Formats: sequence, C-alpha cells, structure tokens
Amino acid sequence: MSEHSDHNGHGHGEGHGTGFYFKIYLTLLVLFLISVAGPEIGEATGIRAITLVTAFGIALWKARLVINEFMHLKAEKRIMKWLLTTSVILMALMVAGVSPDVLNHRGNNWENLAAQAAVERGLAEMAGEVHEEEGTEVVEAEPAGFTAAASYGTVCATCHGAAGDGSGVAGAALDPPPANFTDPVFWEGRDRDRIITVIRDGAAAVGGSALMAPWGALYDEEQLGLMADYVMSFNPNQ
Amino acid sequence: MADTAVDVHHGEHAHDDHHGPSGILKYIWSTDHKIIAMQYMFTGMFMAVIGGFMAYVFRMQLAFPGISVPGFGQVSPGEYNALVTNHGSIMIFWVAMPVLIAAFGNYLIPLMIGADDMVFPKINRLSYQVFLLSAIILLVSLFVEGGGFGGAWTSYPPLSASGEYNQTDLGSSLWLAAVAIEFVAFLLGGINFIVTLMNSRAPGMKAYDIPLVCWMIVIASILFMLSVGPLVAGAVMLFFDQTIGTGFYDPARGGDPILWQHLFWFFGHPEVYVVLLPAIGITVDVIATFARKKIFGYKMVLYTAVATGVLSFFVWAHHQFIAGIDPRMANVFTVTTLLISVPIAEMCFVIIATLYGGAIRLTTPMLWALAFMAEFLIGGVTGIFLGASGADIYFHDTYFVLAHFHYTFFPIAIIGTFCGFTYWFPKMFGRMMNDTLGKIHFWGTIIPFNFIFIPLFVLGMGGQHRRIYNYEHFPELAGADMYQLRQIATIALLVMLAFQLVFFYNWFVSLAKGEKAGKNPWKSNTLEWTTESPPPHGNWPKDELPNVYRGPYEYGHPDREEDYWPQNLPS
Amino acid sequence: MSGRPIATDRSATGIPTHRLAIWWVLASEVVIFGGLLGAYLMHRLGHPEWAEAASHTQTWIGAVNTFVLLTSSFTAVLAHQAAEKGDGKKAAMLLVFTIGGALTFLMIKSFEWYTEISHGYTITANTFWSFYYTAAGLHALHVIAGAIIMGIVAVGAFKGRMLHRVEIIGIYWHFVDVVWIFLFPLLYIAK
Repeated sequence: MSEHSDHNGHGHGEGHGTGFYFKIYLTLLVLFLISVAGPEIGEATGIRAITLVTAFGIALWKARLVINEFMHLKAEKRIMKWLLTTSVILMALMVAGVSPDVLNHRGNNWENLAAQAAVERGLAEMAGEVHEEEGTEVVEAEPAGFTAAASYGTVCATCHGAAGDGSGVAGAALDPPPANFTDPVFWEGRDRDRIITVIRDGAAAVGGSALMAPWGALYDEEQLGLMADYVMSFNPNQ
Repeated sequence: MADTAVDVHHGEHAHDDHHGPSGILKYIWSTDHKIIAMQYMFTGMFMAVIGGFMAYVFRMQLAFPGISVPGFGQVSPGEYNALVTNHGSIMIFWVAMPVLIAAFGNYLIPLMIGADDMVFPKINRLSYQVFLLSAIILLVSLFVEGGGFGGAWTSYPPLSASGEYNQTDLGSSLWLAAVAIEFVAFLLGGINFIVTLMNSRAPGMKAYDIPLVCWMIVIASILFMLSVGPLVAGAVMLFFDQTIGTGFYDPARGGDPILWQHLFWFFGHPEVYVVLLPAIGITVDVIATFARKKIFGYKMVLYTAVATGVLSFFVWAHHQFIAGIDPRMANVFTVTTLLISVPIAEMCFVIIATLYGGAIRLTTPMLWALAFMAEFLIGGVTGIFLGASGADIYFHDTYFVLAHFHYTFFPIAIIGTFCGFTYWFPKMFGRMMNDTLGKIHFWGTIIPFNFIFIPLFVLGMGGQHRRIYNYEHFPELAGADMYQLRQIATIALLVMLAFQLVFFYNWFVSLAKGEKAGKNPWKSNTLEWTTESPPPHGNWPKDELPNVYRGPYEYGHPDREEDYWPQNLPS
Repeated sequence: MSGRPIATDRSATGIPTHRLAIWWVLASEVVIFGGLLGAYLMHRLGHPEWAEAASHTQTWIGAVNTFVLLTSSFTAVLAHQAAEKGDGKKAAMLLVFTIGGALTFLMIKSFEWYTEISHGYTITANTFWSFYYTAAGLHALHVIAGAIIMGIVAVGAFKGRMLHRVEIIGIYWHFVDVVWIFLFPLLYIAK
C-alpha cells in the first residue's frame, strides 16, 4: 500500500533521502528562529509590520514546507490539493461573511453597546494598571454572587416590571396580567410564606394562574426568602 | 455455529472462514454494510415515531389550548418549548440524516458500485454506535431535572447559554452534547461513503457510470463535512458557556451572540442540501426506472448538484436578515439565495423531460417520486419570498416560514424516504410490498399533508408568530377563523398519523406473505439488482463481483429487444 | 481469513484507500480549526483591549513547544521513510521518538497552564483566555489522540505488520504540527 515509487519523479532522485528531510528540518528551524526573533525586533523598534510579517508570513512558509515535503502533498494527486485548498478558502469566505457583524461593534442601524463598553472598560484598565503587578486584577472578572435585586431583574422583571408594577414587556400579552406588587389590594391576605411558595412552585401551586412559572430549580430556600423580601419591598404599605 | 446456519443465505460461504459474530450479535455487532444500514433505518424510524408523537402533542395544544392531550396530559409552557425544540432536532438530525444519508448510503453505495462492502467496515460500525449513543443522550435529556431543552433547534444564545434563562440547565447541555456526538458519527460515516465511492468502484465503472443516487449521497457527505466544522467549534464554545461559565457569546464579556448564529447557519443551510440531494437522487433513479427512459441529462443533474452544493455555502445569512446583519451583506445573500433556485429548478426540468414520452408505470415508488417533485416545488417557490431580504422582514418567524420549510423537509425526509424504501424493499427483504396498501398509504399521507401546511401558510400571512404556546394570550391571533385553520391542520395531522399504521401493517404483512421478489423485480439496470434479494454477506460471490460496461440509465435502447440493459452485461 | 473487504484494496483514483481517507479527515479538521481560529481572529481584531491579556502568555514556552513539535514531525517523516523501505523496527523506534515529542509537548503545556492558572488566568477570566484554552486544548486533544494511535501503529510496525499505517499517522501528525505553527503566532506572538 505504501508504495511511493510511482510519484518520485520530481527531482529528488531516488525517493527522499534522510539528508533531504534533514535539510527541510534545518530550514524549518531557521524559519522558526526568525519567527521568534522578528517580533522581538518589532517590539524593540516599534515597527508593528515586522512583527506581523515575521509571525504570520513565516508561519505560512513553514506550513507550506511541512505540507509539501513532510506530508508529501506536492507529490499527491491533484484532487487532494484541490480539496484542502477548497476547505481553507471556505473558511476564509466564512470569516469574510461573518466579520461585518462580529468584528465591528457598530454598523448601519445597529450598535453593539455591550461590546463597545467591554472594549472601553478594557482599554481604561490597561491604561490604569501599567504599574500594577501582573494578573491581580483579572481574577475579579468572576461572575458576581447572588443578589435578590439582580435575580429579580433576570427572572421576574420581564413580566412584573423593574418597578414591580406588573408592566414588564413580556407581561403585556398575558391573561391574567402579571401581579402588580405596588398595589396595596394585592397584598391583602398575602404573607411572606405564600410569596416564597409561589416563587418556588409557581402560582398554580396556590390556585393561581399557571403563567406564573415555578423557579425553585434556580434558588435555595435562603435565596427564595431574600427574593420574597425584595418583592415585598414593593408593598407601599410597608 | 449451528445457529448461524439460518443466517447464511447461500452456500457460497462454505469455503470462506465465517468471520462475523454469531446469533443475535450478528445484528448488533456486524460490520456488514447492509445490516448497519438497517440499524440506521430502524433507529431513524423509531425516532420518527417519537418526533411525530411530539408534533401530535403540540399541535393539539395549539388547536385546542389547555386540553389534556390523550397520551400526554396537559402541556405546560416549558414542555411545549421542549416538544417543539426536540421535534425539530429529531426530525432533522435523527430522522432525515440517518435514514437518507446513512441508511440509504450504507445500503446502496457498495451494492450500486459493485463492491463487497464499505472500505472501512469497522469504522462504519463505530459510526452507527456513536450515532446510537447520541440518540440515547437526546432521549435522556428529555427526562432530566428541569425537562428537555426548549430553546429551538437553532439554539441561539443567550437563551441557550445559561440555565438562568432557559431553566433547563442539564437538558440544554445534554441536547448540545447529543448533537455534537451525532456530528462525529456522520463525519465517520461520511468519510467512508466518499472514499468508497472514489476508490472501490467495479472495474469499468467510470465517473459518469455511477448511479446518481450514489453521487448525491456522496456530494451531500462532502457538503456536510466541509460545513459542520465551524459549528463543532461553536458547539464546544457554547458548551463551555453553559457548563463552566465562559463568555464566548456574551457581549458584555467580549463575546458575540451573533457569532453563534453565523456558525450555526454556515452549517445549517448546507444541511438543507445535505438531506435534499440524496432525496433527489432517489427520485431520479426511481423516475428513470418507471418511465423506462434514459435520464434526460445525467451530467446536468450531476453538475447542478455540485453547483447547488457550492452555492449552498454562500446563502447562510438569509436566516439572519432580521438579526441586524449588515445590510450590504443582506444584498449579497439575497442574490445568492435567489441564485440557488436555478440549479434546483434545472433538476426539476431534467426530471420533467425524462417523464416526457416515457412509458410511465404508476407503481407506489413512482407515485412517491412524482409527489416529491410536486410538493417540493411548493416548498421551493415559497422560499423565493423568504430569500428576498425585504419581504423576509415581514415573514420572519411567522408560520409562513414554518410551512415553507415543512414543504421542503417533508418531501425530503418523509416522501423521499418512502420512495426509496418502497423501491428497494424487494432488494432489502426479498419480497414485494403490497401495491394496493402502498397506494392507500400514499394518498392517506399526501392529502392530509397538504391540509396541514396550506392553512399554516395562510395563518403565517395573517401574522401568526412562531414559538407561541397559547394564542389566547394574543387577542388579534385568537379569532375564531384562525382557530378554525389551526384545527384543520391538527385534524389533518391526526389523519396522516393514522394512515402511517397502514404502512407498518403493509410492511409486516409483506414481509411474511409478500410475493417473492427475485433478483430484479423492477427490471432495473443498476448493479444491486444483479445479486440475490436480499444480498448475501459480501453482496456477490467473491469471484463474481460484477464488471461494468455502460451507464446506469440505458432504458429502452433501440438496439435491444428488452427495454432495459443492465450495467454488468457485456455488449 | 482476511477481515478486509475487497473494496478496501481497490483504488480507482490511484490513491491508496487509507491515504485518501486521511486527506478527507484532514479536510474536516481544517474546517473545525478554521471555524475556531476564524472566530478568535475576528474577536481579537475587534477587541484591542485583549492585547493586555495576550501580553501575559509565555512566548518562550510556546517557542520551545514549537521546536518540540517540529522535531517530532521530522522523526515522523523519517519513520515513514523507514517504513517505505520495509524496515519496521526502525520505523517503530522513530515513532517512539515522535511519541516522546508528543509527551514532552504535553508536559510543557501542563506546566505552562499550571503557572497561568495559578496566576488567576483561568478559562473564565476573560474571553481571550477562553479562546486561548479552547484552541490550545482542542489542539492538545489532537496531540493526545495522535500519541495513542502512534503507539498502536508502532507496536504493529515493530512486528512488521501494516507498515502503510506509519505513513497515515505521519500525515496526521504533520497536520497537528501545522495547526500549532499557526496557533503559535496567533496566541503567543501577536500582542
């Protein structure tokens, strides 16, 4: 199966000798040294082009050597070259098609505010932390812990509204409408335990509308209590 | 060895060391391409039953909101989301792909090109096992705590990226894992199909002597292989977002949710053609056989299939016109989307030209093939509206879109499958299917199918949005006339599902009592009809593997008395 | 009894079946890595602030790893050459060297990740680090898979069986090398 003699006629004599492979290997090492040294020079001289050309140009050259001489693609049937070239071109076209949306943070009629804010925040941090020791400020990017207000904002406010008045965007279409926590009438006969039960098991558990979904899977008892307190803080009589 | 004697079909193997496992293991641990094809076929049909049951449950909820659905009970909003999501995922990834590509590809490619098996039988077996694992994971995901994933089969973040939003922490991770594992299975299978077709053709079989259905399955495998890569990478990223809290798709942390949409549709749109091409291939083969005519333009079909494949890589963003993509890109993608209808239309013309002047025999498989053309045309034509970015703004995410893609996927996955299954049934099981029952099943499927989805077109144009659990919450969508249309669709679905029992009944009765098929019941040319029905292990006796002398569609040749001319007959 | 079907030994294209298959595997790998690196590239260009995070990668460790992989590629191609001449024992020995390269690479990698994680640069620290660990991790998985398969191939080659496999695993290994050749400037050099 591994007979190679059928495609040896490309100038290297009888197959590839060890010497030939060693020469390729040495070339690769030299290129590798350039690719490491180049960016150092680029940084020292402040010419970014040197960094980019040595880093990526050399990478392409190295890849070409490995693919042609080590993988023997050069001696392979043409169809395989076409195949691999096609797959690389496809990826380039994918990047070209996606980049107007993902690479940019603003376009015609739209703006990616969150991404812009992330860039600004990052750049400000960079400017501010020049003298700081490396790696201390990165850790705090961990997601924050539980707070009742934040959880209310995530799971409740879409229907009940950020102000608790039942005016959330998703609630507009619901029948019956979402409860209005700022209405004193609502609070008649409702205590903290009942609120906890409804958040945990859904309103259907106390005979209310099934549109108020159960959220017990997300929170433990302590967190449910905190959320109930937060909801009760909307009560104007309290 | 005593119990294997039943399974060895003929005596040719006496001199051959019997190297397969014995007994029941023969069916679950075999490397024979025909057995693996049957494994894919039965798994796919089993999943189709589950997917159909899901459709029944949520259609009942939509037509009669709040009803306690017989066999399921009351549908909660979360369950409704899980049902529609998994109906879509199952029908595309666990029905259309395994049946059309893996089952027919495994069964037909070696037989049609005159080889004794796939080139890598063990990888073939592995591919089915990986596929089975993915199906099991998906089914398990429906029953874990929190329920099955409900973020639609497109699984857009941020909804899919965080348990806080989708409420199905475990379900969504399992769903994603199942899909990714399924991709691995099809990569393994696809490499096998491609290499088998490229290298293992019978002596004398040139590129243009290959039956079109083999070409189509292989082109589809190539499309799949080249498009799925970015989504595999994207799925890993989404999985990390779900499980360890990275921010790949969270703009506040330097990611981008639109990226997922691009990666998904860069795969998702070629995927349509991945399942379409095998279905067209089956149709073309069946139509040539039953029109008793040479395909009008063999090369035309092949080249248009390649053109479709190439173009399909450059249309993906028409799914995202509404997502805020760059309007200049929307222009480009509108043009490419409209362009892609040209090669498909050309295939339709070739099929019509083949029918013209043919000696048409309206057998059950032929009816399915003709129905495929007719129904798929409706799906294709309604796609033109959606491909135009201006019109799409209004149609996006309405039932018009839903009806459009069901008019493409139903012909592909259901009609195409029945067409191929009824056509090759005699080869697979050695007996003919009952034609009368087959026709009853055909009309009982096609007529209700139109009654399901034409009302949905109307509802879509009336502004009915997708992904809504209960239209009573939306007064302008809850009118009596709209409910009437919804109920028509649901009742038609019930009728259609009921008629599927005829198919299963026909299958079992034919298996037991059907007329013996013989080698070549349809008087067809291709190589699979030159061996026994069902073919023995190794397909042909070892020293009698066929040689090929001509193309696969030489029907009604003027120089011959018979109206067909098998590929393996020396002239 | 040969378990191999006749189909496997046919070769209508003129390319041996196994080599044909590995090229297709590589084509599917190109699009997997292409998708991931393409996504990284777009984000990297859109987020100038990632330069800060990127400046904490340890270029010298990456450079040593590049050297290790290049060398292992060299021994892999020598193994192929030996297998072609029918010298299974020499091929097996050279493959063992290549596996040694893979293990060295992985050890250096774990040391590198250990220091980075202990400095607080975890995969969730920032999306640059998420991409860094995902891309390098996917590549490391390929290194691990390659090392395992090479072990199996080397055992067979030592017994003089299935020498054609040496070429196939070699082609795969060079591909792993090529991916690293691009990962190195993308993750380490371009600050």
